[in-house]
Amino acid sequence: MRQVYWVGCLCGLLLFSATFQLSAAPVTFNTALPVSKGEGVMRVQAKYLRATGDPGSMNRELTVKALPIVGVWGATSRWTLFGIVPLLDKTMELDMPSGRTKRSVNGLGDVTAMVRYTAYSKDQAGRTFRIAPYAGIEMPTGEDDEQDALGQLPGPLQLGSGAWNPAVGIVTTAQSLKQEWGISTSYKFNNAANGFERGDEARLDLSYHRRVWMGGPADGLPHFLYVGLEGNGVWQGKDRNNGLDDSDSGGTTLYLAPTLQYITRRTVVESAVQLPVAQNLNGNALEQDFIFTLSLRLNY
Amino acid sequence: MKKLILLTVVSLFWSATLFAAGTQYNLRVDGLACPFCAYGIEKKLIKTEGVESVSFDLEKGLVLVKAKEGVTLTEAQLKKLVDDAGFTLRSMSEQPL
Repeated sequence: MRQVYWVGCLCGLLLFSATFQLSAAPVTFNTALPVSKGEGVMRVQAKYLRATGDPGSMNRELTVKALPIVGVWGATSRWTLFGIVPLLDKTMELDMPSGRTKRSVNGLGDVTAMVRYTAYSKDQAGRTFRIAPYAGIEMPTGEDDEQDALGQLPGPLQLGSGAWNPAVGIVTTAQSLKQEWGISTSYKFNNAANGFERGDEARLDLSYHRRVWMGGPADGLPHFLYVGLEGNGVWQGKDRNNGLDDSDSGGTTLYLAPTLQYITRRTVVESAVQLPVAQNLNGNALEQDFIFTLSLRLNY
Repeated sequence: MKKLILLTVVSLFWSATLFAAGTQYNLRVDGLACPFCAYGIEKKLIKTEGVESVSFDLEKGLVLVKAKEGVTLTEAQLKKLVDDAGFTLRSMSEQPL
C-alpha cells in the first residue's frame, strides 16, 4: 500500500490551491486584491483530479473530487480572514492478488483557517499593485481512521491528516483594467499523526490574465471576460511512514493551466484545467493526468 | 399682480425641485480595476445614510454618489469609506442636482 501515499499529496495540492481566489484573481492560486472591511465573499469550487500514470505494476487509478467552500471576511482594509471547508471524495483502484480492488472514502476533510495582510499597495487610476504575505493552519477536522472491507485505509486515503499543518506564503498582484499579473510562493509544513507524515510542500505560481471582452449595463459596473494562462511549480517532499521515508512519494510537478473567467459586480464564474507538463516524481509515485476546476464566487 | 404671484410660485417650485434633487459627489478613486472589487465600494456607500445611488466609470476611475435632499457627505467620511474598501480616494468634487 505504499504506492497510495501519493494520494495525500495530491489532495493537499487540491485544497491548498483553493484558498484565496477572490476578485479577478488567478484560478489556481492566491491574490493580493482587497476585500472591504466588514464585508464578505463566498466561493464554492468543484475540483476533479485524475491520476492514472502508474510507473509500477499495480495499474493504479486515482480519482479525487473536492468541493472546497471558502468564506472570506475583511477584518480591516488590510487584514483578511479565510476559512476553507473541504468536502472530499477519493477513490483508488488498483490490482491486487485478489483482483481489481477499489478503495474509497468521502466526507469532510481538514478545515483550514488563514489570514492575509496587505503589506504594500500602490493605487493609480484603473490599476493597482499589491503585496500580501499570508499564513494559515490546516486543522485535523477530517476523519483519520476510516476503514473499508480491507481494513483501515492508509493515511493518504483518509479524509484528514490528523495533524495540525501550518503554511506561509506571499502573493503579489498587479492589476489594470485590461490585464493582470500574479506571482505567489508558499510553503506548507506537514506534521505527523498516527505514524504517517505527508511531505512538506513548496509552490511557485505565476499567472497572466487578459480582458478580451467588456459589456453589461451602461451606467453600472461592467462585466469582464478574461482569458489567462497560469503556471504552478509544486515540490513535494517524501512522505514518512513510522519515521521512514517513502521512496515512492514526493517530487516536482510543473502545471500549465489555461483559464477562463466571467466577472460581474457580484459574481465570478471561472474554470481552469491544470495540465502537468513536467513531472519528476520519486520512485513509483503516481503521475497525474489533469486537474479540472469550476468555481463560483459571490460578493454578499 | 397675478403675473408676479405666478412667477413667485413657479420660482419657489423650481427651487424646491432643485433642492429636492440632492447632491452628486464625484469621487476619483485609484485602484479600481475590476467590477468584482469595485462592488466592495458600492456596498459601503449604499449602506451610508442618505445615499440614493452609486454608479461607476471604471475607465476614468470615477465613483458617482447621489445623495438625497438635505444630506451632506464630508470628504473625511467618504475617504474613510473608500479606505475601508481597500482603495485610495484621490480627489472629490460635488455638484447640486
